[in-house]
Amino acid sequence: MRATAGTFTALAVALALLTGCSSAPSTASSTAYVPPTNAAPTTTPTPAASPPTAEVEVPTTSSSLDQNQVPAALPPQSIRVDSLGIDMAIESVGLAEDGAMELPQDPSLAAWYRFGPSPASAAGATVIAAHVDSLVYDIGPFAQLATATVGTEIVVTTADGQERRYAVESVQTVTKQDVPWGSIFDRSGPNRLTLVTCGGEFDYDAKTYLSNVIVSATPMA
Amino acid sequence: MHKSLKIGMTASALGALVALGGLAPAQAAEDVAKLSVLHAVPGLTVDVYVNDKLTLDDFKPGDLAGPLELAPGTYKVAITASDATDASAPAIGPVDLPLEAGKNYTATANLDADGKPTATLFTNDISQLAAGEGRLTVRHVAAAPAVDVLANGAVAITALTNPNESVLTLPAGTISAAVAATGTTDPVIGPADVNVAEGTNTIVYAWGSLTDKNLALAVQTIEGLHSNPDSIPAGEAGLVATNQANDSTGLLVGGAAVLMGLVAAAVVGMRRLSAARR
Repeated sequence: MRATAGTFTALAVALALLTGCSSAPSTASSTAYVPPTNAAPTTTPTPAASPPTAEVEVPTTSSSLDQNQVPAALPPQSIRVDSLGIDMAIESVGLAEDGAMELPQDPSLAAWYRFGPSPASAAGATVIAAHVDSLVYDIGPFAQLATATVGTEIVVTTADGQERRYAVESVQTVTKQDVPWGSIFDRSGPNRLTLVTCGGEFDYDAKTYLSNVIVSATPMA
Repeated sequence: MHKSLKIGMTASALGALVALGGLAPAQAAEDVAKLSVLHAVPGLTVDVYVNDKLTLDDFKPGDLAGPLELAPGTYKVAITASDATDASAPAIGPVDLPLEAGKNYTATANLDADGKPTATLFTNDISQLAAGEGRLTVRHVAAAPAVDVLANGAVAITALTNPNESVLTLPAGTISAAVAATGTTDPVIGPADVNVAEGTNTIVYAWGSLTDKNLALAVQTIEGLHSNPDSIPAGEAGLVATNQANDSTGLLVGGAAVLMGLVAAAVVGMRRLSAARR
């Protein structure tokens, strides 16, 4: 009984804290008076006034090898953007020797960073990249990414045969030294898809583009 | 998460921080110590008391609890039979566990080399790994003499004794791990596949008793220690550049690129022609 009451109290306070943050803008823009939901905490006993020892559940798991290892990520195998004429196989890659993400030389092949999240992961950004062009292979399909618009549908097929649909949220061309690699390869936060290639101006001496083209997409409902 | 245990907690902790009953809750994430608890004594369901408060009830062999986020300080831990009414007659301890802010610990209830129940506090290495690497920590908490650890059939760790550990940094990937008496290659545990996951400290415990023939492996993982690639160089020809080559060197290279583009276009054109002729 104590456990139930304590859990509800904790939940109520947690919910109140959450809604307290998220509901503030909507309250401000509302024309009708809506009682602010963040008034709720005043009805819950404060810890200082009453420090009961509630019972909560601590996560406990079997430590056996078959139940407690980091699961292998489910690789994406192909990517399609029908409106841009993109239909590419995806290789699983790691790192190049210089610490960059490894990429196949052929720009008609896409690459998935296999140490990061996959479309089947509970959280984080799936990173798929491809060369925009090559001295050997010419221009690749990802050259079209720069023309994607908000809402463009992307279909990624994972190794289990499942098609996972995403809608483009943003298309950005960012100079390479300004790309926030920590957030590109973010393993936390909502499940999402990040496509990367090169673009923008080209340094004809160094034979390198000065920018990355970064497409962010979120799962479609 | 096949089951869960109960722990005393003040309402103010709100799940963000779990404070052991009756103790002051810690204030911020970077100020807390993280503690996991592994039960590695075969055949004995126990209760765990922290500072004389029942914290883990009916804790079973092979189970791993936590991590708990605790205010730094020294905690008195006593492990009793599961039917005990208080901590006054512990089977193990009481032992004092000094926990520092920002560190990550695992306390094990385990057998010593001679088979006597004891408790051991390990500090987990949570330093950042290079991209592409995984950390493998092997701990000997079994009633057994010194062991070697074999990875993919080759000796990776030699003469590991209870209650010690060995820490390796490896390219991420699955290895076949086995434990053998030191100087031998005949496994007393395994071989078993262990995923040395990228950016993760995979902690493997050899536990149980050689004499009682119940040696086993337990595993704990601590994720989030990864680094990221530092760039994605994804173009080399300038064929879709938004600028033109504007100096002599650039003109040459750019000219070559344009020429290549023309050649490619010509090839495509010829293919189309020949296709049309068919």
